[in-house]
Amino acid sequence: MAWQQQILRVNLSNGSCAIEPLNMEWAEAFLGSRGLGSKYLFEEMDPAADALSAENKIIFATGPLTGTMASTGGRYTVITKGALTGAIACSNSGGKFGGELKMAGYDLLIIEGESEKPVYLHIEDEKVEICDASEIWGKTVWETEELLAKKYQDPLMRFAGIGQAGETLCRYACVVNDKHRAAGRSGVGAVMGSKKIKTIAVRGTKGVRNKDPKAFYKIVNEVNARMTDRDEMSRDGTLAMMDVTNGFGSLPTRNNRSVRFEGANKLNPEAMHTPNENGHTNIVTNGACFGCTIGCGRICKIDPTHFSVKDRPEYHGASGGLEYETAYALGSACGVDDIDAATFAGFICNEYGMDPISLGGSIAAAMELFDIGAIDESTTGGIKLEFGSAEALCQIAELAGKGEGFGVDIAMGSKRLCEKYGHPDLSMTVKGQEFAAYDGRSMQGMGLAYATSNRGACHLRADPYGHDFETTEIEGKAEVVRDSQRDVAFLDSSGLCLFPGGCGWGLEDYRSLVDAACESDWSSDERMRETGERIWVLEKLFNLRAGLGKKDDTLPKRILEEPADVGTGKGLVCRLDEMLPEYYELCGWDAEGVPTSETLQRLGLD
Amino acid sequence: MDISVTLFGGLRHFLPAGSSFNKCNISAADGASLEALLQQIPIPANKPYIVILNDEKVSRENYAEITIQEKDEVVLLPPIKGG
Ligand code: SF4
Repeated sequence: MAWQQQILRVNLSNGSCAIEPLNMEWAEAFLGSRGLGSKYLFEEMDPAADALSAENKIIFATGPLTGTMASTGGRYTVITKGALTGAIACSNSGGKFGGELKMAGYDLLIIEGESEKPVYLHIEDEKVEICDASEIWGKTVWETEELLAKKYQDPLMRFAGIGQAGETLCRYACVVNDKHRAAGRSGVGAVMGSKKIKTIAVRGTKGVRNKDPKAFYKIVNEVNARMTDRDEMSRDGTLAMMDVTNGFGSLPTRNNRSVRFEGANKLNPEAMHTPNENGHTNIVTNGACFGCTIGCGRICKIDPTHFSVKDRPEYHGASGGLEYETAYALGSACGVDDIDAATFAGFICNEYGMDPISLGGSIAAAMELFDIGAIDESTTGGIKLEFGSAEALCQIAELAGKGEGFGVDIAMGSKRLCEKYGHPDLSMTVKGQEFAAYDGRSMQGMGLAYATSNRGACHLRADPYGHDFETTEIEGKAEVVRDSQRDVAFLDSSGLCLFPGGCGWGLEDYRSLVDAACESDWSSDERMRETGERIWVLEKLFNLRAGLGKKDDTLPKRILEEPADVGTGKGLVCRLDEMLPEYYELCGWDAEGVPTSETLQRLGLD
Repeated sequence: MDISVTLFGGLRHFLPAGSSFNKCNISAADGASLEALLQQIPIPANKPYIVILNDEKVSRENYAEITIQEKDEVVLLPPIKGG
């Protein structure tokens, strides 16, 4: 049995900690991690409640394959109502925290209520205590981890928590674990901050059982042998995508004014691997999450002579470097081609606990506001917030992390920022969440995927990549997006990472691992698809009850009305209005995007 | 005539010997097709790629029909995903 069959429930309002049996009926229907956590959230809270109120809950959910020998089996998901979006948030992370939580004996950790004073949670198997956090409140993620590691003297203790950004309720504060892995999106860290819980320290000594260990390990070896292109992924990481989107013409640049960045070759894998004029090389090595045989993580160093870290030796060490999304958000989105500046802003995100995609998207929007004169230096505290300014990027990133000066406005996210300064159309967001690193004009399927994503604009809720790189015509896009949203929901709920899917694994490889590890029969494609669809529709139902609807399944005016300037999609706008009705119909939803009673009945959600 | 070809990502491993980091010049006869040009780059059949010719994506079924012109720029992209 790959589930631990236990959940840990912590109530911060009354200080209680209780171990409860896992609802196995729900586990059979929603698998684990994203799906199972969403089911608990849906059943236990009113989706209309304020994300930053005591009524919201925050759930740390592992999957049945988390903590097993399956490659990439270290993932966990943070599920809550998002502070950035007001929609369901489910933010996935790797590192080693998820495996440790599972080893401590829990499928889910549910945190409810709110504390009066700052606290942290200390878990060692069944021993659970809510501890005073007055000494770590106000500290960065890195300082917190170091202080608690020193206190507990256990090198295997893992941490997932917030920095000052979460404490000051930055709308896109994230939960950082293992210093530079993060449940990044939708403001899950702000929810922790509102509950005054600083971090979760966990140590587990139990193993993870599975249905048939012999059969499971055989399949682990078989699917590992099917992994291809691992060398590329470990050498270049996800950053390899930058040359592809730039060449194709789908790399969002300067707040999506363009889809190609002239400075991409200063941020791409070669720039990362090539010594600069001082002989400094950005990348030090690659890194891997728990049990991963790919190792796409970037461990990088900033040139110590760079203006951002000169005389600041605390930033001279190696830490989590630029992935593709970070390089876009802190690079091309802001028109910045300085790899050290972008790396520094990325370090700040990890240190203070912010989602780099939303930080970069918010800075890019502010740069456009500055460019058109909607704000000026009197608003920014003297910072010349021009597109391309590496100095401004670094300054603003620190201010947002600390919640100081103009950083307070940046910490609102681009939607609230652009509304405040009278230009809501300049916010490149869906449901209040900033775009990922793909433009929905040259990648029409991605446009539809952004618009319909349950957690706001996201590149990881669907898999339209192959179809989008094949054609800009819209025929077939609705089906690709619908099918892949369902499939990704299943994969995310397993406890594995999505990236083996880009390294040769097919859906059947994930499914065979789940089937070998979990009780009952998971061998059919039908069950896999139905489970994924059930999860997707449940998330949709949460959003409908939260007050979101068809009006929120849309894209910014720029993507719908301003044609792409160059590349494969030159002259195109996103044809969302043509794709959306077909998508709703394929989903079994009505014209308003509400699942029909037949659909709910078919999925057991009625 | 020499045509500039750029290979991104892992495709660059298949550049002919003597190429620069991710670029090479491939000689093509007057009137040569795009297909004939691509055949000179030893990319294994199981490695899919996208062809961008002068900023426009070319569909596979058109490779044979397109005639390469002087100063054409060809870019090959691996269709990776995620990130
Ligand atoms: S592929 Fe990358 S993100 Fe996924 S588990 Fe491995 S190292 Fe982590």
